[in-house]
Amino acid sequence: MNELNRRHFLRGLGACVALPAFESLLTEPATAAGRAVTSTGAPLRMAYLYVPNGVILDAWRPHGTGTDFKLNRTMQPFAAFKKDIQILSKLEHKNGYGGRDGGGDHARANATILTGARPRKTAGSDIRLGISVDQVAALAVGNETRFASLELSTDGVRKSGACDSGYSCAYQFNLSWRGPVTPMGPEHNPRLVFERLFGSGNGDARKKNYQARVSQKRSILDFVLSDAKTLHAQLGRNDQQKLAEYLTGVREVEQRIEKAELFGALPDVKMEAPEGIPGDYERHIRLMIDLMVLAFQTDSTRIATFSLAHDGSNRSFKDIGVSEGHHHLSHHRRRDAYMSKLRTIDKFYSKQFAYYLERMSEVKDADGKSLLHNSMSLYASGLSDGDRHSHRDLPVVLAGQAGGKLNSDRHVTQRDDVPMSNLYVNLLNKFGVPTTEFGDSTGSLRGV
Amino acid sequence: MIRSVFLLSIGLLLTLAEAFAAGSGLNFKREVVPLLENYCHDCHADGSDKGGFQLDGHPTEAKQLADHEMWLKVWENLRSQMMPPQKKRQPTPAEREKIMRWIERDVFKVDPDNPDPGRVTIRRLNRTEYEYTIKDLLGVDFEADEEFPPDDTGYGFDTIGDVLSISPLLMEKYLGSAEKIVEKAIPITGPRIPMFQISGDKFRDPRQPKNNARWLRFETASLTEHRQTISHAGRYRIRVEMRVAGSMEASAHSAVLALRANGKQLVTEDLSWDNRKSIYLTGEADLRRGVNTLGLQIQPKEQPEVGENPLRLAVRSVYVQGPLSGAHRKYPSQYLRVFTDGPPPDDVAGRRVYARRILQQVATRAFRRPVDEPTLDRLVQLAIAHDQEEGVMFEKGIGHAITAVLSSPRFLFRAEIQADPNDPGKVVDVDDFALASRLSYFLWSSLPDEKLMDLASKGELRKDLRNQIDRMIEDPKAWRFIRNFVGQWLQTRDVEAIHVDARRILRIRDSRQAYRVFNNKVRSAMRAETEMMFRYLVVEDRSALDLLTGNYTFLNRTLARFYGIEGVRNDRMEKVALPADSRRSGILTHGSVLLVTSNPTRTSPVKRGLFVLENLLGTPPPPAPPNVPELEEVVRRRGGKLTMKEAMALHREKPICASCHERFDPLGLALENFNALGMWRDEQNGLPIETDGALITGEKFRDAKELGKVIATQRRPDFYRCLTEKLLTYALGRGMEYYDTPTIDHIAKQLDADLGRMRTLFYLIAESAPFQKRRGDGSRLLAH
Repeated sequence: MNELNRRHFLRGLGACVALPAFESLLTEPATAAGRAVTSTGAPLRMAYLYVPNGVILDAWRPHGTGTDFKLNRTMQPFAAFKKDIQILSKLEHKNGYGGRDGGGDHARANATILTGARPRKTAGSDIRLGISVDQVAALAVGNETRFASLELSTDGVRKSGACDSGYSCAYQFNLSWRGPVTPMGPEHNPRLVFERLFGSGNGDARKKNYQARVSQKRSILDFVLSDAKTLHAQLGRNDQQKLAEYLTGVREVEQRIEKAELFGALPDVKMEAPEGIPGDYERHIRLMIDLMVLAFQTDSTRIATFSLAHDGSNRSFKDIGVSEGHHHLSHHRRRDAYMSKLRTIDKFYSKQFAYYLERMSEVKDADGKSLLHNSMSLYASGLSDGDRHSHRDLPVVLAGQAGGKLNSDRHVTQRDDVPMSNLYVNLLNKFGVPTTEFGDSTGSLRGV
Repeated sequence: MIRSVFLLSIGLLLTLAEAFAAGSGLNFKREVVPLLENYCHDCHADGSDKGGFQLDGHPTEAKQLADHEMWLKVWENLRSQMMPPQKKRQPTPAEREKIMRWIERDVFKVDPDNPDPGRVTIRRLNRTEYEYTIKDLLGVDFEADEEFPPDDTGYGFDTIGDVLSISPLLMEKYLGSAEKIVEKAIPITGPRIPMFQISGDKFRDPRQPKNNARWLRFETASLTEHRQTISHAGRYRIRVEMRVAGSMEASAHSAVLALRANGKQLVTEDLSWDNRKSIYLTGEADLRRGVNTLGLQIQPKEQPEVGENPLRLAVRSVYVQGPLSGAHRKYPSQYLRVFTDGPPPDDVAGRRVYARRILQQVATRAFRRPVDEPTLDRLVQLAIAHDQEEGVMFEKGIGHAITAVLSSPRFLFRAEIQADPNDPGKVVDVDDFALASRLSYFLWSSLPDEKLMDLASKGELRKDLRNQIDRMIEDPKAWRFIRNFVGQWLQTRDVEAIHVDARRILRIRDSRQAYRVFNNKVRSAMRAETEMMFRYLVVEDRSALDLLTGNYTFLNRTLARFYGIEGVRNDRMEKVALPADSRRSGILTHGSVLLVTSNPTRTSPVKRGLFVLENLLGTPPPPAPPNVPELEEVVRRRGGKLTMKEAMALHREKPICASCHERFDPLGLALENFNALGMWRDEQNGLPIETDGALITGEKFRDAKELGKVIATQRRPDFYRCLTEKLLTYALGRGMEYYDTPTIDHIAKQLDADLGRMRTLFYLIAESAPFQKRRGDGSRLLAH
């Protein structure tokens, strides 16, 4: 997308902010039974943004704990939003550690972050992980919105050859898992994200296209379902499992159609679709963030994951003066030159999350609060010290107040390491999903 | 057999092993047990059961040997080199091999004469296959890379059934794409007014025939013309598609373009600086039957200002459509692929017959096997029901049915049906249609063509297998295989996008100057070099060893200049003989390989060495232990200037590192004469480069060329096995298992006997048990 169109798109967003709040989104607090809604009845959103390869901890860890804390250097971009965030320390993913599985920490960092589960070490024949926290939420409350969840990334291609130390690339590129063997492949093309959310074509054509397609799809689905049934009967166990993925997909589309009827016309966001994938990495990230915010604003979904880059990413950042690859640098061995470049990268990523915070705080929700206030937005990496491949004391920032259920503006730390999964139990409960366990949890995290 | 029963009854270990000697020929007690004692028993026997794993917890020897599940774990851990742990003493590769062979032959009873073909999971089309299948089925270009999320890979390839999953998102996209594709493939609006396209370079200046409309100067008055034969007189629409080139920055340069027909000016356009990709100028004219002259005339206007670049007009195409009266409508030719008999008849019965014929053809090709009658009935019903809706035409009904075909699991998956699908003991030949698909997805990444389908339906495909492989390999569609297989095996897919800092590597401050040396043209030539080399070997039936030692390569002027090779003038890639004293020979000296195995700012002997081990010798080392210091750090701590070789030697001071690094460091160091971009260098940081070394198995070499030679001679069997494994993995869509060993051994041996000829390799793969057969689901090993 060229500069002109990009600006056009963002201007479009500005206009969107001025749209009347979607009042109809407000549910009666009493009837909503607390599922993915705030105390005012506004929708509650859950977002996960992933950054690869850990951070330089010396420049990351805040000074002080509790409500009396100061942001460190690479968190400076969050300064304007200090009141809306809390920093969580001493959370760990034990399943990230190699143990008998040996190398492959990047694959495990990526795999564990939202699942708290240990990926089975395989290059392909029998991948197995666990359901991710966003999908637990999506299964419980996904019916409330047009899309149960949204998965985004910026990685368009897989590297050739094998992935990290004998792990299938599926672990390293998918944050969100619908079940132990089914990753939710993320979308990386902003245009396609937009079209999926708001239809293709322009203006009226967009609406018409969508309606026409919805009605035609029914007869197609009937055909393929009976086709699949015939095929299913002829297959062996493993093949049937693969076909089950197909059937789940078809059923999902069916539900989408039913929802389309339930929810009525698509939200008209009064803007052109973005053109494609921007060549510039930062723009790409921000465009995806724009779309995420837009999806929340229109209540198209309440749950989103966004991988800013897969773990082990060796991207270089020439625009900010870092020409070495990120992964290469992350093994810094405490060399100043490497560490200073890594701090630059850490700050770059912090700025992107700050952009997200900015956008979320600008948009007014149905109840007059900001989207940010009515969200729980997590920013995290599956490694803390990328040099030593450490999976404890992970960098975690939790933003938003979940409509008043979260206490922000604090640095929450623990005496001993606590499973990151405990945080997810807490978040799920606040999201209205009653559960006492998730992944390798040992309880629910307190003090957030 | 009688002997073995007799000996078993005695129950002596020694004799038991002898009884099995028909398998591996190894004596269990004398040759295998000591290895297990040396490397495993410390933790997993004599009362120890670390990790809950015990080798000798069985009441009898026979029970121990029958515990297939346990031996499979042993086999898997040996292969992945997860065991013994790195801090323990390691078996030599030969010892490892010995235990694995013994397990395969004597415990699992793998029968080389009748190998287990294994099980391939039902495979969905990957992005590449989807794109080509759509192209070959409907003639529609669909950019699957744009529209679909990336495919996950396993065992280094994106053809692995087990990891190619379907998420709800992808399913949604399949449905949406089917509609988009059908919109392009079907003349939804019915027959159209014919239109044809004339390429811009067909318009020439009669006085200077070298000048054509692809490149017209703003500052020179010119008239380029094209003589076009028209078959029906009438009013036509003429549309010029063009762009303004010559300057990225604004320029005051301007001109006027006039579109002319038979000497008459139709319409004009003022041309000035404009960065749109396409500009259109449309006019109408009455054209006569026979020859008409179309013209494009340039009149200069303003000159560029000082410091501004002059502009050019580039006419891409001129489209002529008519007669506009609509008197001669027809289907554009691309639609005849589906509507083989043109527009439909008017009567309902005739339309139904026609719909059935069309859908039978399309569904049979799309499902890659004859479509059954009930399915066909339902498809026709879909089309007709739609046709009868108000205002919807026949074509749209057909389109609707084809959307259903493209959404069906029988299109999206390559399903192979067999009797008793859950009986692992049931081995069957895959049917002829499945075999046709296996072949065509292997060599063309797409569906079988008419010829293959024809042979399959007559049951003659197996008979004609080698001829068909020859035909398929020689077809241009085989490029798809080359790009996909080589692209992933030798990672040439990454050449064009990999991050490198050419300025740092070349030590050139000015980025434009660095770009002149290393740019996208060099990158794509590098990729082409390796891929053309592989294609040449396959098409010309040369030895696979040429990949390692060939005294020729493929270059164009750009890449030759980059390599410092003289005498190559063509812009097109061509085969170039390398002199005996050339520094380059084989893929180890290809820029592609050298580049993708480097770090962004320097070479990486470790990555290069690993590449050789994994992709040429087929003996990958175990995964690296965590927390290993990087090279620069070690060098810095020593506080000195070290050659790369001295620095790498530091890697090997600790035994835990040495056990692996001595296997790959020397291989990577052998390539140190080539920098991170693949250019030759004589020294590094003012220090000489030492490239001599030896394989872990002892073979010595002095440099990259000799390393290639050593692999091609003394380690030839390893190379053949490795290449066979990679091709089988790609072709079958699954990883190699213990029961594949006899197949790999057999192919590698035959390949060696036939001097490495590439065609032989493809024949053997296609004729192998795992390619020809399948069996039911489940494990064949006995659970304990």
